[in-house]
Amino acid sequence: MTSPHAAADTGPHAGSPSTASASRRPPSPDPTDVSSIDTMTETVTTTDVAQDGQQDGQQDRRERTASARTGRRSSSRGEYDHLMPKLAEHASLEPGTPERQRLRDELVRGHLPVAQHIARRFARRGEPEEDLEQVATLGLINAVDRYDPARGTDFLSYAVPTITGEVRRHFRDQAWSMRVPRRLKDLNVTLSSAMSQMSQSLGRAPNAAELAEHLGIAKEEVLEALEASNAYRSGSLDEMLVDDPDSGTVSDLLGEADAALEQVEYQQSLAPLLEKLPQRERTIIMLRFFKNMTQSQIAERVGISQMHVSRLLAKTLVQLRDGLGDAR
Amino acid sequence: MIRPQPPEDRGPGAPRDVEVRVLAVPEALVTVRTVAGDLALRAEFPLDTVDDLRLAVDEACTCLAELARPGTKLTGTFAVDDERISMTASVSTTGPTRLPTDTFAWRVLTVLADDVRVLAEAPTAPGEAHRLALRMTVRRPDTSRPGDGPRARAGGRDAPGRDAAVTSMHDRPGTSGS
Repeated sequence: MTSPHAAADTGPHAGSPSTASASRRPPSPDPTDVSSIDTMTETVTTTDVAQDGQQDGQQDRRERTASARTGRRSSSRGEYDHLMPKLAEHASLEPGTPERQRLRDELVRGHLPVAQHIARRFARRGEPEEDLEQVATLGLINAVDRYDPARGTDFLSYAVPTITGEVRRHFRDQAWSMRVPRRLKDLNVTLSSAMSQMSQSLGRAPNAAELAEHLGIAKEEVLEALEASNAYRSGSLDEMLVDDPDSGTVSDLLGEADAALEQVEYQQSLAPLLEKLPQRERTIIMLRFFKNMTQSQIAERVGISQMHVSRLLAKTLVQLRDGLGDAR
Repeated sequence: MIRPQPPEDRGPGAPRDVEVRVLAVPEALVTVRTVAGDLALRAEFPLDTVDDLRLAVDEACTCLAELARPGTKLTGTFAVDDERISMTASVSTTGPTRLPTDTFAWRVLTVLADDVRVLAEAPTAPGEAHRLALRMTVRRPDTSRPGDGPRARAGGRDAPGRDAAVTSMHDRPGTSGS
C-alpha cells in the first residue's frame, strides 16, 4: 500500500543518476554542512542580536517600541529592558498558574525579534525559513521557561545560546536529502526514540508491527516513516558522532579478528582505507564484519542508536567499495 | 511494476514472491535495496535485520553489476516466508565468470546473510549469454529470547573454499531446463 510513497522516495534516486552517484563520492563541502554552522553561530553576539531586534521591533512591534521609548536608547539592550521585571515575576510564579501563563506569552512575544533574527542567520541552508523561525521560537520558549534571574545572567545572554542551540539541533536532526512530509519527519523522531526504548526492554531490535503497537499507530504509518528515514542525509550524522577516544582502535579490535582479516584483501588494500576512516566508522565496520556483533549490539557498545549504526555502515561500505574499486 | 499481493489475500505461510529488474548499474540498485527493505519490514523482520538485508542486497547487486555485460539488466527475485527472506540476483556476463571470495565484499555478504551462494549458468543455446547469480538468505532471528542469538554467528562459515560454490541456476525465472 505504500507503493506511492515508496515510488516517491526511490524516484529521485532511481530516476536521476546524479543523485545516486553523488552519494558515492567522498564527502565534499556542503553549504548546509553543520560544521560551517557551528563556526558561524559564534558570530551571533548578544549585542548585535539586541540591536537587530530593535530594528525589527520598529517595524513589527510599534506598540511595544512606543512603550519602551523611555529615554534609555543609548543602551543597545534598551529594547527589552521593560521586560526585565516581568521575567523576574514570571520566574517567581508557580508553573501552571494563569498569571504565569499570561506573562510567559507576553515575554515570548516581546522577545520574538531575537528568535527571528537568529532564524534568519541560518536561512538558505536548505531548511525552509518558516521552519527555522518556528524552531527558534521553540528555543525562545524554552529559554523563557528555564530562565532563572537569581543566577545573575541577563536574559539575552541566556536566551541567545539556547535559541541558537535549538536551531543547530534542528539542522542536525532534520537534515533530509529530499523533501519528506513534516508529518513523517516528526514520526521519525518518535520512532527512533521508541526504537531505542524497545530495544532496551526487549533486548533486541523491535519489528515494524511491534513499533506500531507500542506507539498506537498503524503499521502502514510505521513502514512509511521508516522508508522516509532512508532519505535522511547521512553526511550530517557525522556531526553527531564526536570522535570518542575510548571507542577502540583497529589494533584493539584485532586479536581474534586476525584470522578473518587475513582471508580478505586486507593488507594490500583494505587496511589503508580503514585507516583513513573516522575512528567511529572504523570501529563500527570492525565490530560488524570482523567481530560479528549485531547492529544493536554495536549501537549499545558505541553509544549511538541502531539507526545510526545502520546509516554509518551503509555510508562507510559505499566509501570502502569505491576505495577498493580504485585500488584495483 | 512490482506489486506484491497484500498478505491477507494469501494463505498463511504462502511465499510472497517479487521480481525486480533494473539496469545493472550502481545508481539503479537502490530500487532493489528498497524493495528488499520493504518486503522484510512488512514481513515483520526486526529492524536491524532489515537494515542488514538492505546492506547485503546492495553489496550483492553491486558485485554482480560490476560483472554484468554493459547495457543489460539485473534481475532480483525475492521470496519471503515465515522463516526467511531470500533474494536471487542475476546478470548476464560476457563469459564464464567467477566471483572471488577473498574480497571484503564477500566478507560483508557472508556476515550479513545467513547463506550465500553463487550460481552460474553456461549458455544452453547459441546466442545466449552466460549468467551469474547470487542467492542469499536472511533468516528471521529467534525473537523468543533476548539478544540476536542466531545472528551472532561466525561469519563466512558458508564460504566453501576460495571460490564460491557454483551450481546450476535451475530455478532462475525464465530459464527452461538447463
